[in-house]
Amino acid sequence: MSRPAAPADAPVLTAERLSVRFGRHIALKDVSLSIPRGRIVSIIGPSGCGKTTLLRCFSRMNELVSGARTRGKVHFAGMDLYGPDIDPVEVRRRIGMVFQKTTPFPKSVFDNIAFGPRASGFTGDLQGLVEEALTDAGLWSEVADELDTPALELSAGQKQRLCIARTLALKPDVLLLDEPTSALDPEATARIESIIRALSPRYTIVIATYNRWQAARLSDMTAFLDRGELLEYGLTETLFTNPREARTESYLTGRTQ
Amino acid sequence: MNRTASRRDSVGAACRAAAIAVVVGFVVLAAYLGVTASQVVDIDFLRRTPSGVAVTAGIGPALAGTLWLLLLTAVLALPIGIGTAIYLEEYAPRTRLTALIESVAANLAGIPSVIYGIVGLALFVRALGMGPTILAGGCTLAVLALPVVIVSSRTAIRRVPEGLRMAAYGLGATRWQVVRNQILPAAGPGILAGCCAAFTRTAGAAAPLLVLGTATFMSFAPQTPAHPLTSLPTQIFVWATRSQEEFAALAAGAALVLLLLLLAMNLVAALVVRGLKGAFR
Repeated sequence: MSRPAAPADAPVLTAERLSVRFGRHIALKDVSLSIPRGRIVSIIGPSGCGKTTLLRCFSRMNELVSGARTRGKVHFAGMDLYGPDIDPVEVRRRIGMVFQKTTPFPKSVFDNIAFGPRASGFTGDLQGLVEEALTDAGLWSEVADELDTPALELSAGQKQRLCIARTLALKPDVLLLDEPTSALDPEATARIESIIRALSPRYTIVIATYNRWQAARLSDMTAFLDRGELLEYGLTETLFTNPREARTESYLTGRTQ
Repeated sequence: MNRTASRRDSVGAACRAAAIAVVVGFVVLAAYLGVTASQVVDIDFLRRTPSGVAVTAGIGPALAGTLWLLLLTAVLALPIGIGTAIYLEEYAPRTRLTALIESVAANLAGIPSVIYGIVGLALFVRALGMGPTILAGGCTLAVLALPVVIVSSRTAIRRVPEGLRMAAYGLGATRWQVVRNQILPAAGPGILAGCCAAFTRTAGAAAPLLVLGTATFMSFAPQTPAHPLTSLPTQIFVWATRSQEEFAALAAGAALVLLLLLLAMNLVAALVVRGLKGAFR
């Protein structure tokens, strides 16, 4: 592990007995966990275990799906994200999410990055903000001269970095990454991973990944979800070398896969 | 193996024959219309008013009436129809009420247009006191166009990839920002194409206007929507039901003008759609 994480770090996000159901399907059951500030936290588990649902809870995205019901609490910087006077739009501006499927807007590279700031009424130096976001996402040197090109013409790896840059332009406190490399080749994956490392600890980063080795490579802490339940959560090193639960161990060793 | 291959051949031959029949039918129809209409259609034909003497008759008032009707339909049906579609797709919670609105809209699209005429007669002409005017006709045609506009706009909006929506919401966009910046540009071509189909349907509708009560003879072109109702389809109907040969030619002439008008409208829409798609890429 690159950096030892102290679990005593001040939590920036705390889920308290969080349950989510879509119609009759229970996607998340009574999950409680804290995300320490400035760390990288991975959520791993078999497909359908609720990784994405948990991630989406943190930015109040689940409620956009019809039939979704969320119970429990999420605390963010001292407030209850699901409180009655919290505007989900404001939440999404402070807790940025990058989705599994890369979907650049059918606009220019510049307009893609500028979308979030413009939506929130940003009035400062947009040019500078776009450059900064693209630099942080490791894309600036490749697109500096072609900010007007349609984003759809970028390569798959570039599109993913564009989506990360688009979220960084919001200057969020937390970055949620849902399977950031699932559609990429090893080289592009390595690229994204080094970018994620560079972004920490400026951002608190939560990654949902089916790739346990990615979790091991990147994260300070790892949570293991299975069938909507949080089975184990702790320092990545501990979880990988000395898992408490038998199911965690069998998942990590690939015995039941 | 051979049998399936030969069966595929015979199906292909049947399809080809059907396609040729359609093309031949269309060409014969267009040729007949063109030849018959050529006796009467010229610039003056577009200006003159109807007359009991066929040689001096024209479609001035009817053409102006149809243009008025198209304008009114567009002004009334587009904002309401597209607005309803956006509301149903993007804003409305999935409740029984919205499900009801949805199924009503879908079913209304299939009701014969003459029924709309009866509703228009009761509502616009009588209850609202508009009388048999262009305004009443425009309102009736707008109601006729509305379900088609709603259903086709919804289909276009639904085709916008869910990922685009979610990405925009994820970046802190409000509902309206998502609609304005992502949904409408992406669904625009589809919405426009659907609206065009709705307009073609209404512009050619004679039945509902006949029910409202159209002027069969007007000596002036309508200047405002308060003028008596007249239109190309109803003028065609009036001429086509007269027994004299020369009025049949007038009907064909008016039909040709109506066809060309709709063709031009669709062409413009197709160009706009292409332009929008180009800008969107």
